[in-house]
Amino acid sequence: MLRHCTIAELLDLRGGEGSAAVRTHVDECDACRAELDRLHQRVAALKALPSLTPPRDRWPVVRDALTRSRRRRWQRAGGAALAAAAALALMVGIPGVRGAGPDIAIAQEVDELKRESHQLEQVLHEVEQERRVVNGMVLTVIVDLEDRIAVIDAGIATVQTAGPVTAQLRDLWEERVILVNQLVATHVQPAAYAGH
Amino acid sequence: MADITLAALDDMAVHRAKSGDLAALERVYRAYEGTVYTLARRMCRSPEDAEEVMQETFLEVCRSIRKFRGTGPGSLTAWIKRIASSKALIRIRYEKYRETEALQEDGGWAGRRDGDAGLQLDLEAALRQLSDTSRAVVWLHDVEGYTHEEIAEQMGKTVSFSKSQLSRAHARLRKMLGEEAQC
Ligand SMILES: [Zn+2]
Repeated sequence: MLRHCTIAELLDLRGGEGSAAVRTHVDECDACRAELDRLHQRVAALKALPSLTPPRDRWPVVRDALTRSRRRRWQRAGGAALAAAAALALMVGIPGVRGAGPDIAIAQEVDELKRESHQLEQVLHEVEQERRVVNGMVLTVIVDLEDRIAVIDAGIATVQTAGPVTAQLRDLWEERVILVNQLVATHVQPAAYAGH
Repeated sequence: MADITLAALDDMAVHRAKSGDLAALERVYRAYEGTVYTLARRMCRSPEDAEEVMQETFLEVCRSIRKFRGTGPGSLTAWIKRIASSKALIRIRYEKYRETEALQEDGGWAGRRDGDAGLQLDLEAALRQLSDTSRAVVWLHDVEGYTHEEIAEQMGKTVSFSKSQLSRAHARLRKMLGEEAQC
């Protein structure tokens, strides 16, 4: 080989894939050997970067999200009729059922969640385009998630027509974001979400 | 770093976590928060993104741990790291959309990322200057030990895409670290 190696060639060599010509050249060329050496040192330095400590404790947030969704699951399982009654009450406008009423902070949260949901949909659209064959198990997970999103969307539509922004609407959007997130993840990395 | 805490996370704790026990799930969180945050922080652009990724990762871990079937040593670590890297990659794609929107809204701030003006940076600073994708690939490949095939699979891209991102990352790191040599 009459020229020095490219970084790509040296990376292949490091990965055990280098061609015989590259290997021979590196054996004979001080400059390329030095370059390969720097590559090794750089990787060693990356591996030696210190572990980092999270700036804040996120466990309370995770725990609360978990308990909230468990409660919701429980309510869905046991209280479909109750939920229907609540939705009806909301539409009829029985005082007190709506709780604190419209709240600017909640409205902001809803806006943020809507935006997040919209952006995730765009990512979803992109990954759906590029995706290859999925097995039956993954497909089941995808269909299940899509069903759950459809249910949430119906809930959002009902609550939205009922009037001003409520915590209930916020919760629905929050759950929607989580589900779309899972849907994206299932498309991107099916094994981790359906295989294990 | 996490060896002591990981050792303390015995099979019993994992078993209890699988049943949904909150105290056991918290032990999983405590044992892995540093590992997950480090991975997320090295891959993502900002500490805020890394925190979000960490939070999403543990939410997913807590929800899916009952489906986790691994038994060998390190299999839980590998499983959690895989969820974390997947969340980080999703976040990176998602950031791309946020940027596009910001660009549309305020007329643009393109090029803010790649502003190396011949400065010699330290490794962490240099890493931060890489494009999001290059940084993620170099970290997953060189530090976490993922193969190009695995990275391609996770990113929904080809093996040659992963390889070219790695070359690009090294070429840039080399330059930013002032390693431009005789070659
Ligand atoms: Zn040479």
